[in-house]
Amino acid sequence: MIEAEGLVRRFDARAALNGLSLTLDAGEVLALIGPNGAGKTTLLRVIAGLLRPDEGAIAVGGHEYPDKRQAARPLIGYLGHDPLVYLDLTAAQNLEFYADLYGAPTDRVLSGLERVGLLARAYDPVRTFSRGMVQRLALARLMMHDPRLLLLDEPFAGLDAAGTELLESVLRDLGDTRGVVLVTHDMAIAARHATRVVGLRAGAVAFEALGPVGHEELVQRYSEVIS
Amino acid sequence: MTAASRQFRALLLKDLRLELRTRQTAIAMVLFAVVAMMAFQFGFGFRVDDTTPLAGGILWATLALTAVLGVGRSFVPEREQRVLDGLLLAPVSRNLLLVARAASVFVYLVVVEVITVPLVTVFFVQDPAATDFALIAVVCVAANFGISILGSLLAAMAVFSRARELLLPVLFLPALLPVIIASAGATHAVLGVSNDMPEYQGYVLFLLVYAVIFALVAYATYDHVFDD
Amino acid sequence: MTETGPGRSIALWGTLTAVLSTAAIVGAFLVAPEDADQGIIQRIFYFHVAIAITSMVAFAVAFVAGVLYLRKRERRFDEIGVVSIGLGVLFSALTVLTGSIWAKASWGIWWQWSDPRLVTYAIVVLLYVSYFMLRSSVDGERQARYSAIFSVVAFASVPLSFYAVRVAQSFIHPVVFTQSGANMPNTMLVWFVVSQVAMLCLFITLLKLELLQRRVDQALGELKLRLEASRPV
Repeated sequence: MIEAEGLVRRFDARAALNGLSLTLDAGEVLALIGPNGAGKTTLLRVIAGLLRPDEGAIAVGGHEYPDKRQAARPLIGYLGHDPLVYLDLTAAQNLEFYADLYGAPTDRVLSGLERVGLLARAYDPVRTFSRGMVQRLALARLMMHDPRLLLLDEPFAGLDAAGTELLESVLRDLGDTRGVVLVTHDMAIAARHATRVVGLRAGAVAFEALGPVGHEELVQRYSEVIS
Repeated sequence: MTAASRQFRALLLKDLRLELRTRQTAIAMVLFAVVAMMAFQFGFGFRVDDTTPLAGGILWATLALTAVLGVGRSFVPEREQRVLDGLLLAPVSRNLLLVARAASVFVYLVVVEVITVPLVTVFFVQDPAATDFALIAVVCVAANFGISILGSLLAAMAVFSRARELLLPVLFLPALLPVIIASAGATHAVLGVSNDMPEYQGYVLFLLVYAVIFALVAYATYDHVFDD
Repeated sequence: MTETGPGRSIALWGTLTAVLSTAAIVGAFLVAPEDADQGIIQRIFYFHVAIAITSMVAFAVAFVAGVLYLRKRERRFDEIGVVSIGLGVLFSALTVLTGSIWAKASWGIWWQWSDPRLVTYAIVVLLYVSYFMLRSSVDGERQARYSAIFSVVAFASVPLSFYAVRVAQSFIHPVVFTQSGANMPNTMLVWFVVSQVAMLCLFITLLKLELLQRRVDQALGELKLRLEASRPV
């Protein structure tokens, strides 16, 4: 689902990605861990087609970047630090907007809101929502076009109990046609959901652990990476 | 409805809904335009007996400044509420983003013109004729194409840079001077007693050529604005 | 710098520029015949027009560099772009200045709104000065990309400005501008060509010099970074 080879991305003189290679197959949940500034978010944004790598090649769903980026976009669902919703539109208007952009059926707007428990607030402007509710709306936005590749950057941050429950169920019931890249600081979350863990340091892969990894082992290996 | 037209409708509707809810752009543009016209009157309108020859110039200098103000509001929700990634992640062609942005600027300009053009004729023109309004409406539409396309391209760059409030007028106004020259010329050609149709047509044609050239420039470059 | 290549090539271009400019000055002021109508002031024409054309060449170079940057994303095209536009602004400001002097001498006023070329150059100076404001408001790779886009936009608006100003003037005062240009005796034409080539050589020399200086600056910066990194803490 993702094939990336030798990715380099510099910001001025600093290399956020430094010759990083990575693959992801359908059915995998890949946890990306690493200290701040290791290049996790940069990698996610390169995969999402929001940043161009300076060097290296990347393809998502067999669509090579940068020329075929448009074809890869419908496959990708990205959840980053920002919820990517307009505060002055209602919850329903936001979802309708994204349904239109992705060509998704409009009846998903209300079913999506119901799924995240916001149906009662469908016609209220997002500005009046609590932070947890905004994050749940962001989850509904993420699932709107039924993406095959989920790119999640610290998705549990700011999520309330209902939202956490919901996201965990999404990760559990993934099926074997979807893939996930999950950036997290939380070793417990990585241990619980990941089928593979990749540790990053200074823009390159520092270690890789296959199969479900125990929490203890992960903490151990992570502290080795940091030191 | 094709995918692209559904996306276009969604993008335009989003802008108009945000505007209807926050009412930040159009009202400010109209007020600004009225004040600017009064400034022109106090600046030099007092010193001439008949302001009719100046009316076209006053109208278009006012509209150009107002356009800069309105274009500067583009992408402000995206910037302030950090939603831009949402647009860029979606499978929307970058040129469609430009066209939708230009369409909403076009709508704002029409709103301003509907109020400004009658006011200019009331304030500054002796004996305006009803047919003049139709002719000036054509000038407005022709000018709006160029203004909204070029403005959307420059605003996309200016809004995500430092000093954006200052940068946009400095980038935009010199490139708008040809529009001011031609639309003021076309308006002047038909306002009041004069009715010089060949001159009028020449200017309107120029405005359309201007729009086409910058549409091509925008088509060729807009992809790159967001390609970080 | 251990290589001598760029330095030698600049020296060569510099020498050529010096020789041709001297020839152009001597030719324009001493050799070329005096214009029957305008007298001595007409001699500014040899430089005024040559400088004006050179500034357009500079903007065209920046336009091509901008297009190439957008296609290839190579830093050197951005550098060619920014240096060319800097020189283009300098040359077009000189054009406005020499044009204004000419206007004073032939029409008795420093500024003539009905001369479309002079007015267009004033617009062009404004347009391209704002390029530098754009650059200073954006950083990193984006700076190069936005600059490239703007160099395309600005180049497209040059002919539009010229045309708009010219058309507007022709409606207001028909037939003003047919002085200069077309009907030039051969002896004048020769010195005009010499002056034009001299100005183009000057442009190339300055372009190369500035590009070299930027490269040296950059190499120096990298050296400093390396030194600082290797210094024991």
